[in-house]
Amino acid sequence: MNSVERCDVLNAPDVVAFEHGLACHGVSLCLGEQQVLQEVDVVLPNRGVTCLIGPSGAGKSSLLRCITGLHETWTGDIHIEGQSVRHWQGGVDALRRQVGLIAQKPTVFPTTIEQNVLFGLSRKEKKSLGREGVQHCLQQAALWDEVAHRLDDAATDLSLGQQQRLCLARALALKPSMLLLDEPTASLDPRSKASIEQSIRALAVVMPVLCVTHDLVQAQRLSQYIMFMCAGRLLESGFSDALFQHPKRLETREFLCWSVCDCSASEEK
Amino acid sequence: MMIRLILILLAVPAVVLPLLSLGYIFVQAAPWFSVTVLLGDAQQHSMISSGLVPQIMGSLLLMGLACALAFPAALSLALFDMIYANASQRRVLAAALQLLQGIPPIVYGLCALVVLVHLFHWGISLVSGALVLAVVILPLLTENIMHALQRIAPEQTEAAKNLGLSAWHIVVRVWLPVAWSDILTGVLLAMARALSETAPILFTATVFSGVSLPDSIWSPVSSLQTHIFYLAQEASNKQAMGVAWVSAALLLLLVLGLSVVAWWLRQRRLGA
Repeated sequence: MNSVERCDVLNAPDVVAFEHGLACHGVSLCLGEQQVLQEVDVVLPNRGVTCLIGPSGAGKSSLLRCITGLHETWTGDIHIEGQSVRHWQGGVDALRRQVGLIAQKPTVFPTTIEQNVLFGLSRKEKKSLGREGVQHCLQQAALWDEVAHRLDDAATDLSLGQQQRLCLARALALKPSMLLLDEPTASLDPRSKASIEQSIRALAVVMPVLCVTHDLVQAQRLSQYIMFMCAGRLLESGFSDALFQHPKRLETREFLCWSVCDCSASEEK
Repeated sequence: MMIRLILILLAVPAVVLPLLSLGYIFVQAAPWFSVTVLLGDAQQHSMISSGLVPQIMGSLLLMGLACALAFPAALSLALFDMIYANASQRRVLAAALQLLQGIPPIVYGLCALVVLVHLFHWGISLVSGALVLAVVILPLLTENIMHALQRIAPEQTEAAKNLGLSAWHIVVRVWLPVAWSDILTGVLLAMARALSETAPILFTATVFSGVSLPDSIWSPVSSLQTHIFYLAQEASNKQAMGVAWVSAALLLLLVLGLSVVAWWLRQRRLGA
Protein backbone atom coordinates (compact mmCIF):
# COMPACT_ATOMS: atom_id res chain seq x y z
CA MET A 1 0.00 0.00 0.00
CA ASN A 2 1.88 3.02 -1.22
CA SER A 3 -0.79 5.66 -1.35
CA VAL A 4 -2.83 6.89 1.53
CA GLU A 5 -6.42 7.57 0.69
CA ARG A 6 -7.69 11.07 1.13
CA CYS A 7 -10.42 11.34 3.70
CA ASP A 8 -13.80 10.80 2.04
CA VAL A 9 -15.36 13.26 4.44
CA LEU A 10 -13.99 15.91 2.10
CA ASN A 11 -16.50 14.84 -0.48
CA ALA A 12 -19.50 14.75 1.79
CA PRO A 13 -22.14 16.98 0.19
CA ASP A 14 -23.54 18.54 3.37
CA VAL A 15 -20.21 19.50 4.82
CA VAL A 16 -18.97 22.96 4.10
CA ALA A 17 -16.23 25.31 5.28
CA PHE A 18 -13.61 22.71 6.09
CA GLU A 19 -11.10 25.47 6.56
CA HIS A 20 -12.80 26.21 9.87
CA GLY A 21 -12.32 22.68 11.22
CA LEU A 22 -9.26 20.54 11.64
CA ALA A 23 -6.92 19.67 8.79
CA CYS A 24 -3.93 17.35 9.13
CA HIS A 25 -1.66 16.91 6.11
CA GLY A 26 1.06 14.27 5.93
CA VAL A 27 1.37 13.94 9.68
CA SER A 28 4.04 11.43 10.68
CA LEU A 29 5.38 10.60 14.11
CA CYS A 30 8.29 8.47 15.28
CA LEU A 31 8.60 7.56 18.95
CA GLY A 32 12.02 6.02 19.47
CA GLU A 33 12.46 3.66 16.57
CA GLN A 34 8.76 3.05 16.12
CA GLN A 35 6.86 4.76 13.33
CA VAL A 36 3.59 5.58 15.08
CA LEU A 37 1.96 7.74 12.39
CA GLN A 38 2.69 7.63 8.66
CA GLU A 39 1.59 10.46 6.39
CA VAL A 40 -1.85 10.81 7.95
CA ASP A 41 -4.24 13.15 6.14
CA VAL A 42 -7.38 14.13 8.06
CA VAL A 43 -9.91 16.83 7.40
CA LEU A 44 -12.76 17.31 9.84
CA PRO A 45 -16.00 19.16 9.23
CA ASN A 46 -16.55 22.19 11.42
CA ARG A 47 -19.29 20.47 13.37
CA GLY A 48 -20.58 16.97 14.05
CA VAL A 49 -19.05 13.89 15.61
CA THR A 50 -16.28 12.07 13.78
CA CYS A 51 -15.21 8.77 15.29
CA LEU A 52 -11.69 7.46 14.87
CA ILE A 53 -11.63 3.68 15.02
CA GLY A 54 -8.95 1.08 14.61
CA PRO A 55 -7.07 -1.60 16.47
CA SER A 56 -4.89 -0.88 19.48
CA GLY A 57 -1.58 0.65 18.47
CA ALA A 58 -3.02 2.10 15.26
CA GLY A 59 -1.94 5.61 16.29
CA LYS A 60 -5.37 7.06 17.10
CA SER A 61 -4.45 8.51 20.49
CA SER A 62 -1.06 9.61 19.17
CA LEU A 63 -2.80 11.66 16.49
CA LEU A 64 -4.85 13.44 19.17
CA ARG A 65 -1.69 14.07 21.17
CA CYS A 66 0.03 15.54 18.11
CA ILE A 67 -2.88 17.91 17.56
CA THR A 68 -2.64 19.28 21.11
CA GLY A 69 1.15 19.38 21.19
CA LEU A 70 1.59 16.63 23.78
CA HIS A 71 3.80 14.94 21.17
CA GLU A 72 6.23 17.46 19.76
CA THR A 73 8.33 15.50 17.29
CA TRP A 74 5.74 15.00 14.55
CA THR A 75 6.22 16.19 11.00
CA GLY A 76 3.65 17.48 8.52
CA ASP A 77 1.02 20.16 8.93
CA ILE A 78 -1.88 20.49 11.33
CA HIS A 79 -4.23 23.43 10.96
CA ILE A 80 -7.15 24.37 13.17
CA GLU A 81 -9.51 27.00 11.80
CA GLY A 82 -6.89 27.74 9.20
CA GLN A 83 -4.12 28.41 11.74
CA SER A 84 -1.07 26.18 12.03
CA VAL A 85 -0.75 24.59 15.46
CA ARG A 86 3.02 25.01 15.24
CA HIS A 87 2.68 28.78 15.15
CA TRP A 88 -0.38 29.12 17.33
CA GLN A 89 -0.95 32.60 18.65
CA GLY A 90 -0.16 32.49 22.35
CA GLY A 91 1.80 29.25 22.11
CA VAL A 92 0.94 25.68 22.89
CA ASP A 93 -0.88 26.55 26.15
CA ALA A 94 -3.30 28.77 24.21
CA LEU A 95 -3.76 25.98 21.66
CA ARG A 96 -4.69 23.50 24.39
CA ARG A 97 -7.29 25.89 25.77
CA GLN A 98 -8.81 26.08 22.31
CA VAL A 99 -8.84 22.30 21.81
CA GLY A 100 -10.41 20.39 24.68
CA LEU A 101 -8.79 16.97 25.03
CA ILE A 102 -10.57 14.47 27.29
CA ALA A 103 -8.44 11.47 28.21
CA GLN A 104 -9.62 7.90 28.61
CA LYS A 105 -9.00 7.84 32.34
CA PRO A 106 -10.95 10.57 34.13
CA THR A 107 -8.54 12.67 36.17
CA VAL A 108 -10.00 15.12 38.62
CA PHE A 109 -7.93 17.35 40.86
CA PRO A 110 -8.10 16.89 44.64
CA THR A 111 -10.37 19.85 45.24
CA THR A 112 -14.11 20.59 45.11
CA ILE A 113 -16.39 19.92 42.15
CA GLU A 114 -16.79 23.64 41.48
CA GLN A 115 -13.07 24.31 41.69
CA ASN A 116 -12.46 21.48 39.24
CA VAL A 117 -14.72 23.13 36.70
CA LEU A 118 -12.83 26.40 37.21
CA PHE A 119 -9.39 24.78 37.32
CA GLY A 120 -8.12 25.90 33.92
CA LEU A 121 -9.28 29.50 34.30
CA SER A 122 -7.40 32.55 35.46
CA ARG A 123 -8.71 34.51 38.46
CA LYS A 124 -10.32 37.06 36.15
CA GLU A 125 -11.95 34.36 34.02
CA LYS A 126 -13.26 32.60 37.13
CA LYS A 127 -14.88 35.84 38.25
CA SER A 128 -16.52 36.47 34.91
CA LEU A 129 -17.74 32.87 34.57
CA GLY A 130 -19.36 32.86 38.02
CA ARG A 131 -21.71 30.27 39.47
CA GLU A 132 -24.03 30.53 36.47
CA GLY A 133 -21.18 29.67 34.13
CA VAL A 134 -20.24 26.68 36.25
CA GLN A 135 -23.86 25.54 36.14
CA HIS A 136 -23.94 25.94 32.35
CA CYS A 137 -20.76 23.86 31.90
CA LEU A 138 -22.09 21.14 34.19
CA GLN A 139 -25.40 21.17 32.33
CA GLN A 140 -23.60 20.82 29.01
CA ALA A 141 -21.75 17.83 30.45
CA ALA A 142 -25.04 16.35 31.73
CA LEU A 143 -23.80 16.42 35.31
CA TRP A 144 -25.66 19.36 36.83
CA ASP A 145 -28.66 17.40 38.11
CA GLU A 146 -26.39 15.05 40.05
CA VAL A 147 -24.11 17.63 41.67
CA ALA A 148 -26.23 20.78 41.90
CA HIS A 149 -26.47 20.59 45.69
CA ARG A 150 -22.93 19.49 46.40
CA LEU A 151 -20.63 21.70 44.36
CA ASP A 152 -18.39 22.09 47.40
CA ASP A 153 -17.92 18.34 47.84
CA ALA A 154 -14.65 16.68 46.89
CA ALA A 155 -14.52 15.78 43.21
CA THR A 156 -12.71 12.57 44.07
CA ASP A 157 -15.89 11.32 45.78
CA LEU A 158 -17.75 11.21 42.45
CA SER A 159 -18.18 7.97 40.52
CA LEU A 160 -15.93 7.32 37.51
CA GLY A 161 -18.72 8.24 35.11
CA GLN A 162 -19.41 11.47 36.97
CA GLN A 163 -15.69 12.27 37.08
CA GLN A 164 -15.47 11.84 33.32
CA ARG A 165 -18.38 14.24 32.84
CA LEU A 166 -16.69 16.65 35.26
CA CYS A 167 -13.57 16.49 33.06
CA LEU A 168 -15.79 17.38 30.11
CA ALA A 169 -17.33 20.31 32.04
CA ARG A 170 -13.81 21.46 33.00
CA ALA A 171 -12.76 21.47 29.35
CA LEU A 172 -15.97 23.27 28.34
CA ALA A 173 -15.32 26.03 30.87
CA LEU A 174 -12.43 27.11 28.63
CA LYS A 175 -14.90 27.58 25.75
CA PRO A 176 -12.98 25.39 23.31
CA SER A 177 -13.64 25.50 19.59
CA MET A 178 -13.10 21.75 19.22
CA LEU A 179 -13.27 18.63 21.35
CA LEU A 180 -10.94 15.66 21.10
CA LEU A 181 -12.13 12.64 23.08
CA ASP A 182 -9.83 9.69 23.69
CA GLU A 183 -12.07 6.72 24.50
CA PRO A 184 -14.17 8.85 26.83
CA THR A 185 -16.53 6.07 27.83
CA ALA A 186 -14.08 3.19 28.19
CA SER A 187 -14.60 1.42 31.52
CA LEU A 188 -17.85 3.26 32.24
CA ASP A 189 -21.21 1.67 32.97
CA PRO A 190 -23.97 1.89 30.29
CA ARG A 191 -25.84 4.68 32.10
CA SER A 192 -22.76 6.91 32.38
CA LYS A 193 -21.92 6.06 28.79
CA ALA A 194 -25.39 7.19 27.65
CA SER A 195 -25.07 10.47 29.60
CA ILE A 196 -21.73 11.28 28.02
CA GLU A 197 -22.97 10.36 24.54
CA GLN A 198 -25.92 12.67 25.06
CA SER A 199 -23.54 15.52 25.94
CA ILE A 200 -21.30 14.80 22.98
CA ARG A 201 -24.24 14.88 20.58
CA ALA A 202 -25.41 18.22 21.96
CA LEU A 203 -21.91 19.73 21.79
CA ALA A 204 -21.33 18.47 18.25
CA VAL A 205 -24.08 20.78 17.05
CA VAL A 206 -21.82 23.77 17.68
CA MET A 207 -18.28 22.39 17.39
CA PRO A 208 -16.36 19.56 15.75
CA VAL A 209 -15.86 16.52 17.97
CA LEU A 210 -13.22 13.92 17.16
CA CYS A 211 -13.79 10.82 19.26
CA VAL A 212 -11.43 7.84 19.47
CA THR A 213 -13.32 4.70 20.38
CA HIS A 214 -12.97 0.93 20.34
CA ASP A 215 -16.70 0.52 20.73
CA LEU A 216 -17.97 0.06 17.17
CA VAL A 217 -21.61 0.11 18.24
CA GLN A 218 -21.02 3.43 19.94
CA ALA A 219 -19.17 4.76 16.90
CA GLN A 220 -22.13 3.83 14.68
CA ARG A 221 -24.60 5.30 17.13
CA LEU A 222 -22.72 8.51 17.77
CA SER A 223 -20.93 9.63 14.65
CA GLN A 224 -21.84 11.11 11.32
CA TYR A 225 -18.35 10.40 10.00
CA ILE A 226 -15.91 7.61 10.58
CA MET A 227 -12.18 7.30 10.06
CA PHE A 228 -10.38 3.97 10.22
CA MET A 229 -6.72 3.85 11.17
CA CYS A 230 -4.39 0.89 11.17
CA ALA A 231 -0.63 0.68 11.81
CA GLY A 232 -0.22 4.44 11.84
CA ARG A 233 -2.09 5.06 8.58
CA LEU A 234 -5.50 6.44 7.85
CA LEU A 235 -6.89 3.73 5.59
CA GLU A 236 -10.50 4.69 5.06
CA SER A 237 -13.00 7.33 6.01
CA GLY A 238 -16.46 8.48 5.10
CA PHE A 239 -20.04 8.74 6.26
CA SER A 240 -20.71 6.43 9.14
CA ASP A 241 -23.53 4.42 7.53
CA ALA A 242 -21.66 3.96 4.27
CA LEU A 243 -18.44 2.86 5.91
CA PHE A 244 -20.09 0.39 8.22
CA GLN A 245 -22.28 -1.10 5.48
CA HIS A 246 -19.85 -1.01 2.56
CA PRO A 247 -16.26 -0.78 3.73
CA LYS A 248 -13.95 -0.48 0.74
CA ARG A 249 -10.73 -1.76 2.25
CA LEU A 250 -10.06 -5.31 3.18
CA GLU A 251 -8.48 -4.19 6.48
CA THR A 252 -11.60 -2.22 7.37
CA ARG A 253 -13.82 -5.18 6.59
CA GLU A 254 -11.64 -7.43 8.71
CA PHE A 255 -11.62 -4.97 11.58
CA LEU A 256 -15.37 -4.48 11.46
CA CYS A 257 -15.76 -8.24 11.60
CA TRP A 258 -13.60 -8.20 14.74
CA SER A 259 -10.76 -9.79 12.86
CA VAL A 260 -7.18 -9.18 13.72
CA CYS A 261 -5.83 -6.36 11.63
CA ASP A 262 -2.44 -7.05 10.21
CA CYS A 263 -1.70 -4.43 7.63
CA SER A 264 1.65 -5.80 6.62
CA ALA A 265 0.09 -9.17 5.88
CA SER A 266 -2.64 -7.57 3.83
CA GLU A 267 -0.07 -5.52 1.95
CA GLU A 268 1.67 -8.73 0.93
CA LYS A 269 -1.61 -10.07 -0.37
CA MET B 1 15.31 -22.88 55.16
CA MET B 2 19.04 -22.52 55.78
CA ILE B 3 19.20 -19.30 53.75
CA ARG B 4 16.26 -17.91 55.70
CA LEU B 5 18.02 -18.67 58.98
CA ILE B 6 21.23 -17.00 57.81
CA LEU B 7 19.33 -13.92 56.65
CA ILE B 8 17.52 -13.65 60.00
CA LEU B 9 20.77 -14.09 61.95
CA LEU B 10 22.39 -11.32 59.92
CA ALA B 11 19.36 -9.03 60.02
CA VAL B 12 18.58 -9.28 63.73
CA PRO B 13 21.68 -7.37 64.93
CA ALA B 14 20.88 -4.57 62.51
CA VAL B 15 17.64 -3.98 64.38
CA VAL B 16 18.63 -5.05 67.89
CA LEU B 17 21.92 -3.12 68.23
CA PRO B 18 20.44 0.36 67.53
CA LEU B 19 17.52 -0.43 69.85
CA LEU B 20 19.96 -1.53 72.59
CA SER B 21 21.96 1.66 72.07
CA LEU B 22 18.81 3.77 72.37
CA GLY B 23 17.78 1.92 75.50
CA TYR B 24 21.27 2.29 77.00
CA ILE B 25 21.28 6.06 76.39
CA PHE B 26 17.89 6.52 78.07
CA VAL B 27 18.88 4.25 80.99
CA GLN B 28 22.06 6.28 81.50
CA ALA B 29 20.23 9.60 81.19
CA ALA B 30 17.22 8.72 83.36
CA PRO B 31 18.89 9.32 86.79
CA TRP B 32 20.11 12.75 85.66
CA PHE B 33 16.84 14.05 84.24
CA SER B 34 15.76 16.95 86.45
CA VAL B 35 14.49 20.49 86.16
CA THR B 36 17.89 21.74 87.36
CA VAL B 37 19.76 19.92 84.61
CA LEU B 38 17.31 21.16 82.01
CA LEU B 39 16.83 24.76 83.17
CA GLY B 40 20.10 25.23 85.07
CA ASP B 41 21.11 26.15 88.58
CA ALA B 42 21.09 29.91 89.19
CA GLN B 43 23.55 29.52 92.05
CA GLN B 44 26.28 28.01 89.91
CA HIS B 45 27.83 29.48 86.81
CA SER B 46 29.67 26.58 85.18
CA MET B 47 28.52 25.39 81.76
CA ILE B 48 27.74 21.96 83.18
CA SER B 49 25.13 23.35 85.52
CA SER B 50 23.78 26.20 83.44
CA GLY B 51 21.00 24.18 81.87
CA LEU B 52 20.34 22.86 78.39
CA VAL B 53 17.89 25.46 77.08
CA PRO B 54 20.55 27.41 75.09
CA GLN B 55 21.79 24.14 73.58
CA ILE B 56 18.28 22.99 72.61
CA MET B 57 17.47 26.40 71.15
CA GLY B 58 20.84 26.53 69.36
CA SER B 59 20.26 23.13 67.77
CA LEU B 60 16.74 24.09 66.70
CA LEU B 61 17.89 27.46 65.31
CA LEU B 62 20.71 25.85 63.33
CA MET B 63 18.33 23.20 62.01
CA GLY B 64 15.58 25.66 61.12
CA LEU B 65 17.87 28.17 59.43
CA ALA B 66 19.70 25.42 57.53
CA CYS B 67 16.40 24.08 56.21
CA ALA B 68 15.19 27.57 55.34
CA LEU B 69 18.38 28.12 53.33
CA ALA B 70 18.42 24.67 51.70
CA PHE B 71 14.72 24.33 50.85
CA PRO B 72 14.44 26.94 48.03
CA ALA B 73 17.59 25.58 46.39
CA ALA B 74 16.44 21.96 46.76
CA LEU B 75 12.96 22.75 45.42
CA SER B 76 14.43 24.64 42.46
CA LEU B 77 16.79 21.78 41.65
CA ALA B 78 13.97 19.23 41.86
CA LEU B 79 11.71 21.35 39.65
CA PHE B 80 14.49 21.90 37.12
CA ASP B 81 15.00 18.14 37.04
CA MET B 82 11.28 17.52 36.52
CA ILE B 83 10.50 20.26 33.99
CA TYR B 84 13.54 21.27 32.00
CA ALA B 85 16.30 18.67 32.34
CA ASN B 86 16.87 16.24 29.51
CA ALA B 87 17.88 12.63 30.11
CA SER B 88 21.63 13.29 30.26
CA GLN B 89 21.20 16.31 32.56
CA ARG B 90 19.09 14.14 34.86
CA ARG B 91 21.81 11.50 34.97
CA VAL B 92 24.46 14.12 35.78
CA LEU B 93 22.29 15.66 38.49
CA ALA B 94 21.53 12.27 40.08
CA ALA B 95 25.23 11.36 40.06
CA ALA B 96 26.19 14.75 41.54
CA LEU B 97 23.65 14.40 44.34
CA GLN B 98 24.95 10.93 45.22
CA LEU B 99 28.53 12.20 45.15
CA LEU B 100 27.68 15.15 47.41
CA GLN B 101 25.98 12.83 49.89
CA GLY B 102 29.15 10.75 50.05
CA ILE B 103 31.39 13.66 51.12
CA PRO B 104 32.19 13.46 54.86
CA PRO B 105 30.52 16.38 56.70
CA ILE B 106 33.80 17.24 58.46
CA VAL B 107 35.19 18.20 55.02
CA TYR B 108 32.34 20.66 54.55
CA GLY B 109 33.08 21.98 58.03
CA LEU B 110 36.73 22.50 57.18
CA CYS B 111 35.90 24.30 53.94
CA ALA B 112 33.37 26.50 55.72
CA LEU B 113 35.98 27.34 58.40
CA VAL B 114 38.36 28.57 55.72
CA VAL B 115 35.84 30.28 53.44
CA LEU B 116 33.01 31.55 55.65
CA VAL B 117 34.68 32.04 59.02
CA HIS B 118 38.07 33.37 57.89
CA LEU B 119 37.82 34.54 54.27
CA PHE B 120 34.36 36.16 54.49
CA HIS B 121 34.93 37.17 58.12
CA TRP B 122 31.56 35.79 59.17
CA GLY B 123 33.25 34.38 62.25
CA ILE B 124 31.96 31.49 64.31
CA SER B 125 28.28 32.27 63.98
CA LEU B 126 24.79 30.92 63.57
CA VAL B 127 24.73 31.85 59.89
CA SER B 128 28.07 30.15 59.14
CA GLY B 129 26.88 26.94 60.79
CA ALA B 130 23.46 27.07 59.21
CA LEU B 131 24.91 27.63 55.74
CA VAL B 132 27.30 24.71 55.97
CA LEU B 133 24.50 22.53 57.41
CA ALA B 134 22.31 23.62 54.49
CA VAL B 135 24.98 22.43 52.06
CA VAL B 136 25.23 19.11 53.94
CA ILE B 137 21.47 18.44 53.80
CA LEU B 138 20.91 19.88 50.31
CA PRO B 139 21.45 16.59 48.37
CA LEU B 140 19.19 14.62 50.71
CA LEU B 141 16.50 17.31 50.66
CA THR B 142 16.68 17.59 46.85
CA GLU B 143 16.34 13.83 46.44
CA ASN B 144 13.42 13.72 48.87
CA ILE B 145 11.59 16.50 46.97
CA MET B 146 12.38 14.84 43.62
CA HIS B 147 10.89 11.57 44.85
CA ALA B 148 7.82 13.41 46.14
CA LEU B 149 7.28 15.06 42.74
CA GLN B 150 7.93 11.82 40.87
CA ARG B 151 5.15 10.15 42.85
CA ILE B 152 2.54 12.53 41.36
CA ALA B 153 0.41 10.59 38.89
CA PRO B 154 1.40 11.61 35.33
CA GLU B 155 -2.31 11.82 34.50
CA GLN B 156 -2.63 14.80 36.84
CA THR B 157 0.12 16.66 35.00
CA GLU B 158 -1.31 15.75 31.62
CA ALA B 159 -4.82 16.80 32.66
CA ALA B 160 -3.41 20.18 33.71
CA LYS B 161 -1.49 20.50 30.43
CA ASN B 162 -4.67 19.73 28.51
CA LEU B 163 -6.28 22.72 30.22
CA GLY B 164 -3.53 24.93 28.80
CA LEU B 165 -1.88 25.59 32.17
CA SER B 166 1.70 26.80 31.93
CA ALA B 167 4.57 24.91 33.60
CA TRP B 168 4.57 27.41 36.46
CA HIS B 169 0.82 27.07 37.00
CA ILE B 170 1.13 23.28 36.94
CA VAL B 171 3.77 23.50 39.68
CA VAL B 172 1.78 25.88 41.86
CA ARG B 173 -1.73 24.54 41.30
CA VAL B 174 -1.15 20.80 40.81
CA TRP B 175 2.26 19.54 41.89
CA LEU B 176 2.75 21.39 45.17
CA PRO B 177 -0.82 20.85 46.49
CA VAL B 178 -0.70 17.16 45.53
CA ALA B 179 2.84 16.48 46.78
CA TRP B 180 2.99 18.77 49.82
CA SER B 181 2.73 15.99 52.40
CA ASP B 182 5.52 14.01 50.71
CA ILE B 183 7.62 17.17 50.43
CA LEU B 184 7.01 17.91 54.10
CA THR B 185 8.06 14.35 54.96
CA GLY B 186 11.28 14.93 53.03
CA VAL B 187 11.87 18.24 54.81
CA LEU B 188 11.35 16.61 58.22
CA LEU B 189 13.85 13.86 57.39
CA ALA B 190 16.34 16.50 56.23
CA MET B 191 15.73 18.40 59.49
CA ALA B 192 16.46 15.23 61.43
CA ARG B 193 19.69 14.88 59.45
CA ALA B 194 20.62 18.50 60.21
CA LEU B 195 19.96 17.89 63.88
CA SER B 196 22.24 14.84 63.82
CA GLU B 197 25.25 16.57 62.28
CA THR B 198 28.03 17.66 64.60
CA ALA B 199 31.20 17.98 62.54
CA PRO B 200 30.14 20.84 60.21
CA ILE B 201 29.05 23.11 63.07
CA LEU B 202 31.94 22.26 65.36
CA PHE B 203 34.29 24.70 63.59
CA THR B 204 31.76 27.18 62.30
CA ALA B 205 28.93 27.90 64.70
CA THR B 206 29.27 26.61 68.21
CA VAL B 207 31.17 27.43 71.35
CA PHE B 208 31.12 25.56 74.63
CA SER B 209 30.72 28.32 77.18
CA GLY B 210 29.72 31.94 77.53
CA VAL B 211 26.70 31.66 75.24
CA SER B 212 23.04 31.85 76.16
CA LEU B 213 20.78 32.62 73.20
CA PRO B 214 22.25 34.27 70.08
CA ASP B 215 21.58 38.00 69.66
CA SER B 216 21.70 37.78 65.89
CA ILE B 217 22.61 35.41 63.09
CA TRP B 218 26.20 36.65 63.45
CA SER B 219 26.48 35.42 67.06
CA PRO B 220 27.90 32.02 68.01
CA VAL B 221 25.52 29.45 69.42
CA SER B 222 25.68 26.37 71.57
CA SER B 223 24.12 23.13 70.41
CA LEU B 224 23.21 19.77 71.90
CA GLN B 225 25.48 17.93 69.45
CA THR B 226 28.64 19.85 70.24
CA HIS B 227 27.69 20.09 73.93
CA ILE B 228 27.79 16.28 74.09
CA PHE B 229 31.16 16.33 72.32
CA TYR B 230 32.68 18.80 74.80
CA LEU B 231 31.17 17.15 77.89
CA ALA B 232 32.33 13.69 76.81
CA GLN B 233 35.90 14.98 77.00
CA GLU B 234 35.29 15.43 80.72
CA ALA B 235 34.67 11.70 81.17
CA SER B 236 36.16 11.69 84.68
CA ASN B 237 33.57 14.22 85.83
CA LYS B 238 30.45 12.26 86.75
CA GLN B 239 28.14 15.26 86.53
CA ALA B 240 29.49 16.24 83.12
CA MET B 241 28.83 12.72 81.83
CA GLY B 242 25.35 12.77 83.32
CA VAL B 243 24.53 16.03 81.52
CA ALA B 244 26.03 14.55 78.34
CA TRP B 245 23.67 11.56 78.60
CA VAL B 246 20.69 13.86 79.15
CA SER B 247 21.76 15.97 76.15
CA ALA B 248 22.06 12.81 74.06
CA ALA B 249 18.61 11.64 75.15
CA LEU B 250 17.09 15.05 74.31
CA LEU B 251 18.77 15.06 70.90
CA LEU B 252 17.46 11.56 70.25
CA LEU B 253 13.95 12.59 71.27
CA LEU B 254 14.06 15.55 68.86
CA VAL B 255 15.32 13.40 65.96
CA LEU B 256 12.88 10.59 66.78
CA GLY B 257 10.04 13.10 67.02
CA LEU B 258 10.79 14.46 63.52
CA SER B 259 11.15 10.95 62.10
CA VAL B 260 7.88 9.80 63.67
CA VAL B 261 5.99 12.82 62.25
CA ALA B 262 7.57 12.13 58.83
CA TRP B 263 6.59 8.46 59.08
CA TRP B 264 3.03 9.38 60.13
CA LEU B 265 2.65 11.76 57.19
CA ARG B 266 3.84 9.06 54.79
CA GLN B 267 1.48 6.47 56.26
CA ARG B 268 -1.40 8.92 56.04
CA ARG B 269 -0.67 9.54 52.36
CA LEU B 270 -0.39 5.83 51.59
CA GLY B 271 -3.63 5.19 53.45
CA ALA B 272 -5.46 7.99 51.61
